[in-house]
Amino acid sequence: MMWFFLLSDAFTFSSLLVGYATVRFSFPQANETQMAELRKEMPFGTDVHEMFHANPDGFVGAMNDRGIFAETQWPAPELVFNHFPGHHLHWPLMFVSLMTFILIMSSVTMVLAVEAGQRMERKKVEIFMLLTIIGGLMFLGCQAWEWTKFIGEGAKLYTNPFGPVTFAALFFLVTGFHGFHVLSGVVINFIIYLNVLRGTYEERGHYEMVEKVGLYWHFVDLVWVFVFTFFYLI
Amino acid sequence: MALCRPCLGIRIYLLLPYIVTFKSYHIMSNHKTPVDIHDEVNYDPTVWVPKAHSHGTKGLWKTFWILLFLTVADIGLYFTLDPGIFRNGIFIFLGVVKAAFIVYSFMHLTFEHKGLKKSIVLPMIFVIYLIVLMLSEAYYWLDLNWL
Repeated sequence: MMWFFLLSDAFTFSSLLVGYATVRFSFPQANETQMAELRKEMPFGTDVHEMFHANPDGFVGAMNDRGIFAETQWPAPELVFNHFPGHHLHWPLMFVSLMTFILIMSSVTMVLAVEAGQRMERKKVEIFMLLTIIGGLMFLGCQAWEWTKFIGEGAKLYTNPFGPVTFAALFFLVTGFHGFHVLSGVVINFIIYLNVLRGTYEERGHYEMVEKVGLYWHFVDLVWVFVFTFFYLI
Repeated sequence: MALCRPCLGIRIYLLLPYIVTFKSYHIMSNHKTPVDIHDEVNYDPTVWVPKAHSHGTKGLWKTFWILLFLTVADIGLYFTLDPGIFRNGIFIFLGVVKAAFIVYSFMHLTFEHKGLKKSIVLPMIFVIYLIVLMLSEAYYWLDLNWL
């Protein structure tokens, strides 16, 4: 039944993502020649914070003159998601790559827990489930940080300094919906982890519950693949 | 309502042994002694599960490296190719490849029954239909913006 639940959930997520793609494709892309100019001025590792505070009006004016963040065109993700914790340098898409890596890694530990469960190795199931939970919490922490940054820059459900309002609204809607799946996945994993610690499945004679939550967890990872593709790359 | 309440009370009273007892499975299936949960001859639907067997971790690690490589390739292509329909197409294609690896390897769909495989993968045709439908609409909206 888990498979059919996930199938229905896949339909929900594809509706959200196709909706996003529809709105996304109905806007023209950021002007490529101006983007190329901007990339030359702001190479990887530029201190954007310092650049902005040296001349805030000039910085915003330069962006507006180029129409980079105009409401009529979709912003390039590299200019929106360019923060990294610990410094103010221009590191486009590096943080989201880290998040993706964390989620893939937690998916691997989950599948190792499932595999250990199939061999009835309780100790290994315990270790790998704990690692999965930690990975999930790390991912949630990263997402919270990213949201805080994005909201701090003025993006809300109803306003967006980076371009069309629908960009921010759909970003919060879809990543929020995915993040809530991650959160519920962590909670379910934690409950199953406690059961593993208590020896419930050892007594039952099989670790099928671990396999079931594993399916859910991998599905969350699968959805992230598409969220990553649509929101951060396209 | 007055009639319902004692009913519910009785039901809870009857279910109580199953709720409070740890080995409720054995009571429900009328087995006095522990049963073989994998027994396919004396099939008991309340406890029976297919026998789990591991397929090893080698394939899983291979999938991990493929996923990692494709993600790094995504980021690399983002900064090397010009934006446009071609680059977006590559990203979506790589996304589908990654998703297929997750479903078939991590979620073990390869080892499932043929019928289950079909009933999970075939409904995805509706998503493709939705994509075609909505993207053609989106291009129409884009034309409207230019006017």
